[in-house]
Amino acid sequence: MTRTLTAGLASTAKYVSLVLAALVMLLPLVLIVMGSFKTNQEFLATGPFTAPESWTDLSNYATAFTRGGMARGFVNTVLIFAVAIVGTILIGAATAYALDRFRFVGRRGVLNLFLLATLVPGVTTQVATFQIINWLGLYDSQAALILLFMGTDIISIYIFLQFVRSIPRSLDEAATIDGAGHLRIFFRIILPNLKPAIATVVIIKGIGIYNEFFLPFLYITDPEKRPISTALFAFKGPFGSQWEVICAGVVITIVPILVLFLFLQRFIYNGFTSGATK
Amino acid sequence: MTTADTGLQGPTTAAAVAGRAPGSSSPGGAAAPGRRRRRRSTPYLFLLVPVALLLLLTYVPVVNMVWYSFTDWDGLDKTKELVGFDNYTEVFTDPENLHVFYVSLYYFAASFVQMVLALYFATILSFRIRFKNLWKGILFFPYLINGVAIGLIFLNFLRPEGGLDTVLMSLGLESLVHQWTGDPDIANATLASVSVWRYMGLNFVMFLGAIQSINAEVYEAAEIDGASRWHEFWYIILPSIRPIVGLSLILAISGSLSVFEIPKVMTDGGNGTETFVMRTVWMAFNRNMVGLASAMAVVLLLVVLVVTWVQRKVLPDDEVDLT
Amino acid sequence: MFPHHRRRRLLGLAAASTVLALTAACSGGSDDPPGDSTPDADATPSGAITVLTWRTDLVEDGTFDEYVTQFKAKYPDVTDVKIEGITDYEGEVKTRMNTDSYGDVLAIPGSVTPDQLGDFFEPLGDFDELSKEYRWIADKTFEGRSYGIPVVGNVQGIVYNTKVWEAAGVTDFPTTTQEFLADLQAIKDKGIKVAPLYTNYKDSWPLTQWDGARGAVTANPDYVNEMTQTDTPWTDESDSGVIDGLIYDVVAQGLTEADPTTTNWEQSKQLLGTGEVATMVLGSWAIPQMQAAAEAAGASADDIGYMPFPAQVDGKFHAVAGGDYNLGINVHSKNKVTARAWIDWFNHESGFSESQVGLSPMIDGTVPAALQDFVDEVELITMNPAPEGKESLFADIDTASGIVTTDPKYRQKIVDDARSGARTKQQVFDDLNAAWAEGRAEAGA
Repeated sequence: MTRTLTAGLASTAKYVSLVLAALVMLLPLVLIVMGSFKTNQEFLATGPFTAPESWTDLSNYATAFTRGGMARGFVNTVLIFAVAIVGTILIGAATAYALDRFRFVGRRGVLNLFLLATLVPGVTTQVATFQIINWLGLYDSQAALILLFMGTDIISIYIFLQFVRSIPRSLDEAATIDGAGHLRIFFRIILPNLKPAIATVVIIKGIGIYNEFFLPFLYITDPEKRPISTALFAFKGPFGSQWEVICAGVVITIVPILVLFLFLQRFIYNGFTSGATK
Repeated sequence: MTTADTGLQGPTTAAAVAGRAPGSSSPGGAAAPGRRRRRRSTPYLFLLVPVALLLLLTYVPVVNMVWYSFTDWDGLDKTKELVGFDNYTEVFTDPENLHVFYVSLYYFAASFVQMVLALYFATILSFRIRFKNLWKGILFFPYLINGVAIGLIFLNFLRPEGGLDTVLMSLGLESLVHQWTGDPDIANATLASVSVWRYMGLNFVMFLGAIQSINAEVYEAAEIDGASRWHEFWYIILPSIRPIVGLSLILAISGSLSVFEIPKVMTDGGNGTETFVMRTVWMAFNRNMVGLASAMAVVLLLVVLVVTWVQRKVLPDDEVDLT
Repeated sequence: MFPHHRRRRLLGLAAASTVLALTAACSGGSDDPPGDSTPDADATPSGAITVLTWRTDLVEDGTFDEYVTQFKAKYPDVTDVKIEGITDYEGEVKTRMNTDSYGDVLAIPGSVTPDQLGDFFEPLGDFDELSKEYRWIADKTFEGRSYGIPVVGNVQGIVYNTKVWEAAGVTDFPTTTQEFLADLQAIKDKGIKVAPLYTNYKDSWPLTQWDGARGAVTANPDYVNEMTQTDTPWTDESDSGVIDGLIYDVVAQGLTEADPTTTNWEQSKQLLGTGEVATMVLGSWAIPQMQAAAEAAGASADDIGYMPFPAQVDGKFHAVAGGDYNLGINVHSKNKVTARAWIDWFNHESGFSESQVGLSPMIDGTVPAALQDFVDEVELITMNPAPEGKESLFADIDTASGIVTTDPKYRQKIVDDARSGARTKQQVFDDLNAAWAEGRAEAGA
């Protein structure tokens, strides 16, 4: 009797805590969505929980999209992502392939170099990295971001290392017997078999790049080249007195990631769990 | 170990195979010296670009940074003068520099709260529960949102008479209404809480993944033995996710020192909320004190290294062995 | 007088080495001596340039598009003028100046010190020559060469909502800071929605605007130069002490916005226009923006008034007149001819200074009608440039002291302390004076 009672209480407590947590997570988002449909007068005059008069008035969205340079921001982000991800995959897979399939002088050293690098948080070294990017003549270019995204991603290299080990060597050997060279083995055997790792890296990296603020903040100043995160940031200055438009801008940046999340939920979770444990 | 001699590829394969099984005798010994060189160079060729980038973008900056930290360089001059440990003295004597380390303690403490919450939700969601996917999605989704957007969302939510204040008022909790970023006593706690809101989902999903990878038979066996839920948590769940907790801990430390966007958007460092990254950027680029900024970065790097080392000693993590 | 000379802290050595490097470069007969920005005076402006501006509002509302169209109509060979509006102008431009890529034409950030001008900017001409045509170029001049021309002149004072002040029964400009505080209190007692005085703490740069009163308090055009001669610039009588003391008092007495961390510049214009804020300390450049915001919010442009800093000498108010941001040319610019043409066109033909209700930067310019009343009642002062050879002294001390008066951080700290009571006003002064004295010692003053 008491046993079922405590179990019942525990179960209730469990659901209460989940509902509370869900409220905490969702409320700030709901208010932003509501704000984005209000007019300027309405936003100032009504409380945050008052529903907007019109749920179909998209004028704030139009303003945010056109005047805020959101469209350009999206295009830039996609562009940077596309190039950086290909680079990251090739770099990660090549490193993993070389380190796992070969024994050579300096292998230990290279491994340790990569291992040690995980301990260096990227933000700490930007003071000096800045000088290097500038020296390369890449300041205020998307190439700077691409280079940094693919050149400093040690985590991806680890994910690839883990997965490469699980590709049976017999596949390599069979290919060799058929006369395949290393490049061919790499592209025909290793890369296709790394698909799960690639999916993981694409997801982790994609979200990372979409959300990255510090690097574009530091390295990109030209409004034409800005990715979405700094576009949103730049937008808050001149629109400081029009919070309803800022709300719309925020919603615009959230919608694509929400859609992706709803469709790719399982992959995203797997990406993060495998990415983290491997 | 039979290797068909198929021209150039033959010896290289031998090397690969030999490499995998170092104990076996290498049949490649018979190969011509030229071929040998080629096959030996293969891994280096594959590593050329990755290692070059690693050196260029991680190690060269670290070395340069250490060097800058002993100079008075302003980032512009052609010459740098050595100033010994002056910059380090400055880091540890200027109260405003020390303050940013103090601020990061808030975020560090918050990351423990975050892990406890994540662990709690991961545990209850790993048992049978209704709408599991819905809860999981809601708890995780904030992690996917852009940091600038999060800053703006909370500026809106926490502004005076904003969402939070309205909720508190309607619950009759007027006494709890604060200037969330304006009150110097709680400004950092507020910002750190926003950070918990943002990152809790990631910890949660990582923990959940680890818990779910525990073999179901283990639970069954435990249940037969009459173990309570608490026992299951303590003796089965916790030990099995220890490596991931260790990893989260390291991430928490470097994370709490690299906080940037949320305070940047929400307070721009005002009211004593300036973080380490904000200050170094300001110092290096606005005030042209690259030397001093580098010294701060070196100190930070050392903190991270020491903490990681301690963590590895205390919580040995077999996953780290990558060879 | 333009109030920005933000700089590095370890200046003693660094500045010395800069100067050394410069002298070395010059005496060593470098191949590329600093030339005039119009090496080929007959060259026709052509091609594309990038212009950096702090006026994001004018980029946003299309004013700059109009300027570009007019400029291109005059110089048909110019293919493109790209305007980049920057919200955090000082901070971002300063970061970009660590590289070569900071546009072709830009407003010289206040934190660039005189001795650095030549490293970053193209000389626009000799001071003696240019000063026949333009006012307020002295503080962007180093060793006889001028590097920047102001786009508009300002007077420095306080912008306020006339209706709110009148409703509180105040009709005369306060003549002392005590009277000013009492007036703000009267406004507060009358019940004001947001604040009698708005600090704009979060955007922070408006706090540097208070420096506009330096020199006006004691009617001393040499005040800033004299700061380099004393170890205690912050006293109850000195300009610095009166200004920063007023900030402290106004915050400590609860006459400012309740939560300074949630202030917002764009919104502040609206708040002043609608009378939810009564007062803000800003240069006269702010007047047209406030008027526009008032109208946009359904109030009248006439509600915006301008008063001098509350201090009198011999029964008369004083206000400092000086240049706003000075336009300069990036020394690394690939299109200096067109860049120079833009600056000249902007000053002579764009109508910018009239539209901004500013004093014209031209020697023969007129006083705009909106400022005429103010100018009649208030004696204008132009701050004297630093004496020959000491152009950098103030900036050197300022930086070495760690105070950096051009950076709003130290004033934010004053606001913090006034709110929390962590330091008394006297302690604030003592700390500032101690740091200043240390800075003087370090800079060798």
